[in-house]
Amino acid sequence: MDRRVSAYGLAALGVAAVAWLTSAAFAWLGLASSALLFLLPVLLASARGGIGPGLFAALAGAAAYNFLLLPPLFSFRVHSSDNIVSVAVLALVALVTSRLATRLKEREADALSQAQASGEAAELSALLSSGDAETAPGRGVGWLAAHYGAALLLDRTVLDEDAAAFGSLDLSAAAWALHNGDATGHGTAIMPAADWSFIPLAPRGRAGGHLLAVARPASGTTRGEAQVAHLQELALLLGQASDRAALEREQHERERVEQSDRLRRTLLTSLAHDFRTPLTVITGQLATLSAKSSEAQDALRAARRLDRTIDDLLAAARLEEGSLALAPESLDLVDAASAACEAVALPARIALQRAIPADLPFVRADPVLLHHVLLNLLDNAARHAKTHVALAARAEEDRVTLAISDDGKGIPEAERARVFERFARIEGSDRHEGSGLGLSIVKGFADAMAIAVEVGEAPTGGACFTLALPRAEGPAP
Amino acid sequence: MSRVLAVDDEPAIRRLLAAILTRGGHEAATAANAREALALLARGGIDAVLLDLGLPDRDGIELVGAIRAESQVPIIVVTARSDVSEKIAALDLGADDYVTKPFDADELLARLRSALRRAESNGEARPESVEFGPIAIDRARHEARLNGAPVALTPKEFAVLETLTEAGGRVLTHAAILERVWGKAHVADVDYLRVAIRALRLKLEADPSAPRLIRNEPAIGYRLADIA
Repeated sequence: MDRRVSAYGLAALGVAAVAWLTSAAFAWLGLASSALLFLLPVLLASARGGIGPGLFAALAGAAAYNFLLLPPLFSFRVHSSDNIVSVAVLALVALVTSRLATRLKEREADALSQAQASGEAAELSALLSSGDAETAPGRGVGWLAAHYGAALLLDRTVLDEDAAAFGSLDLSAAAWALHNGDATGHGTAIMPAADWSFIPLAPRGRAGGHLLAVARPASGTTRGEAQVAHLQELALLLGQASDRAALEREQHERERVEQSDRLRRTLLTSLAHDFRTPLTVITGQLATLSAKSSEAQDALRAARRLDRTIDDLLAAARLEEGSLALAPESLDLVDAASAACEAVALPARIALQRAIPADLPFVRADPVLLHHVLLNLLDNAARHAKTHVALAARAEEDRVTLAISDDGKGIPEAERARVFERFARIEGSDRHEGSGLGLSIVKGFADAMAIAVEVGEAPTGGACFTLALPRAEGPAP
Repeated sequence: MSRVLAVDDEPAIRRLLAAILTRGGHEAATAANAREALALLARGGIDAVLLDLGLPDRDGIELVGAIRAESQVPIIVVTARSDVSEKIAALDLGADDYVTKPFDADELLARLRSALRRAESNGEARPESVEFGPIAIDRARHEARLNGAPVALTPKEFAVLETLTEAGGRVLTHAAILERVWGKAHVADVDYLRVAIRALRLKLEADPSAPRLIRNEPAIGYRLADIA
């Protein structure tokens, strides 16, 4: 504003000075040179003050030229077309010069604000990348507050809380910004009457949970479009910093979990090792002695049972921590059953009957887990059987069933639902030799492999456990 | 009499292994760690190694590779871990067989016998015929016999049985049999092998649903049992 006024003053002063100079030295200068001199105040005024002062200088100059220099002197009458041309030229010069000057000034202002903006962006990004990533977003908001007045970092919880800093319009603007990813509130096209500007930290079109809120400028002025755009750039920088912080947090958490998993695995492995080493010595030495002593035979059986119990404990621990790594493949139940039957030492009084059809389809299961399941079921059957344990497989429509039964007392119907619970004690059953874990592991491993397991009654009245295994895809045997 | 080196960091296990070896008619040498084991092996005169995988000074699997790089001495891995992938890794690196703690003395001695037999026949040219238990394979005539009676087999069945018979009771991983019979491209096609094994059992086993000859090692492979 001051600059405008001073430009008019400058125009008047310049015209007066040229008028004085040309009228004083007219004889020496001549009409043409004098007319040219009147261009000077026009150029000056329009360059400094724009079109207004420029035209003012042009008109004042033309009037002075006409009044003081053109005959008839001291009159405003215009005699020839030359004079009209002089006026028009002066006005045109004023117009063109002021246009050029204005454009130049605009460019300069743009360049200046751009330089300032990129300077700020560089400063903020240097601040965000220096030091701890975890506290970077906080540092960035502090910097923004120092430069733009009150600034806050918000997330979705602001909508649920009774945030004292925000009015209802502010909260609506914040909700819009969170849901749609637009900049809203003061200085924007969306709810401009709000007291705060809300700027998402994620780029447009990408969902993000955080907003930068910047209060209306304390000076009472309105934040312009360019300034909001600049704040959006700064908010993106903040967004990147908070993404980095989140990534780093995730990484830390992952490392922590991995470390504790590793620790647990190491513990389990070393536990197994620590138990098995002495057990190997015990069973090894007892095996030598048992050729001559029935007491040693009893001790050997007990030691072998202890080994199975350790297997069950480890399996239970793996089930509990959810660290079963399944490697299912297509299996022949003949293979699975024979490996399990070889591994279970049945007492001599108990016969093993196997009925597995030669054309039984292959099944899909993890061979190691299935082996453990079959061991536990055979072991359970052997402990309850009077004379025999039977294995019978059958192909059904989309699955293969394997029934393992004994001719013991059986499990009362009311107790069957509880039989897979850990340490379940079944009424009337003789469980003194079991770990109490075996059947719960059967159930846990079977569930993990999508194998259904049911308990029922065998034709002999004993218990019958039936596994329903999914058929393997691929070639039929 | 063969000289067998038992490597284990636990003195009681070393004593147990030495007792079992002596009972089995072998001469026992012992080492408590990888360094001692390698030093004894370098001195020579060791016919087989029983190697615990949980040694204090070196990774057991890596040690299998290191020993195999130096010599063809039979290695039987003794492990307390039920980790299948570890056993397969040891077998892939050239271990002859494995036993899991707590092991059965007779089983250990049987594995050792098979491994020693493999080592003896190693230097010889590929013989015209191989035998194991009730199985006899005549390569020249492409003929398999069970207890002396010829058995008609398809070419793949014959190749699988030949491979198992050559191993002479040692375990062979699925991948090893598949590579030998079907080629490198099919090492993961366990189904092929399962189909062939089932067909072989129908022709060789007295009761195919309770096989005694071709034994399954869950998730690892197959071996022939000496049921002669």
